[in-house]
Amino acid sequence: MAQAPSAEVTAGSRIGRILLFLARLVLGGIFVYAAYSKLHFDGAWHLRDYQFFFAMAINSYNMLPLAVVQVMARVLPWLELLLGICVVFGFGLRWASLGITALLLVFMGALTRAAMLGLQINCGCFGYDSPKPSTELLHDSGLLILAVAVTVGAFLSRRARRVAA
Amino acid sequence: MNDGLKRYCAAGLGLALAVLALAGSLWAQGKVSPADLTVAKSLGSREAPITMEVFADYQCPQCRLFYETVTKQLIDTYVSTGKVYLVHRDFPLSMHTYSHQAAHWLNAAAAAGYYAPVEQALYDKQDVWAPTGQIEPILLGVLSPAEMKKVRLVESTEGAQLDAAVASDMALGNSKHVDGTPTIFIYHKGQQTQLPTGGVNYTLLKQYLDYLLSH
Repeated sequence: MAQAPSAEVTAGSRIGRILLFLARLVLGGIFVYAAYSKLHFDGAWHLRDYQFFFAMAINSYNMLPLAVVQVMARVLPWLELLLGICVVFGFGLRWASLGITALLLVFMGALTRAAMLGLQINCGCFGYDSPKPSTELLHDSGLLILAVAVTVGAFLSRRARRVAA
Repeated sequence: MNDGLKRYCAAGLGLALAVLALAGSLWAQGKVSPADLTVAKSLGSREAPITMEVFADYQCPQCRLFYETVTKQLIDTYVSTGKVYLVHRDFPLSMHTYSHQAAHWLNAAAAAGYYAPVEQALYDKQDVWAPTGQIEPILLGVLSPAEMKKVRLVESTEGAQLDAAVASDMALGNSKHVDGTPTIFIYHKGQQTQLPTGGVNYTLLKQYLDYLLSH
């Protein structure tokens, strides 16, 4: 005979769910904003020419061949938007948050390299008046903690639901 | 009239004529304003559909790289064909000891009508003058003695205006939150857009300009 969950366990899981929800809102919201800032800047939408600006921003890192830079410039804002929306609304949460974690690790790798090389560039993370790579690295570190927390929370929550079923 | 008096009269007349000639030259030249110098430091047609404004520092290695790898091709392909109006703005950074001095001489050359060759010389020979601040020999390398004389005359008579033009460009840059060089603004159909710092190469810029020209 299955035992009913104790009141403490129920309260604990409710708090966990609320924290996970809040973390999803913040993390997903930041990614939606990151996409928005690449599509809307200098007071106007740039839906048709955003890729030129973002390609220049990526190219400033001097890391990738131009062909790869151009593909990334076209795709990345929309990928950030998609992942952000998925995390906020909980669609495919485990994989979306895992995707964000992976993206943040890639971004942080690029930022670390830029900071080590002393590149005087804007990071391009949130539009084109973003902070320098070294400053953005701190922001991304915080975001990475949040992303890992949401990912772990999403997997644990999924497992708990399976066990309950 | 004795010979001595005649000689004095001839010398006086000569001196008077020289003074009149110099005054006439300065009068014709007039005082250069920052707006005049902006025009003198611009290349291409003012009627071009795109205006590109570049805030640059002649002692900055990134500005040199941009000039050598982007601006030269841009001038050949877009400026000389009337598609882009290229406006230079001086933004000497305080970290570079001689960049203000270079901007001062560049403005003197621009006022005398020799902007393009002097700009190219300052970038091409940046390694030569940047450690010492010896800028005049660089100008002498690209200008004839007569042209250099003209530049020196402007520099000596209009020094304050030249510095005012540099200050005016810097004030404009500060108002646009320029914090590094080169910083590039593109104006097209009434819209101003700043290009991201550091990643502008010729291929990407060309794609963007072609996009603007086709829309």
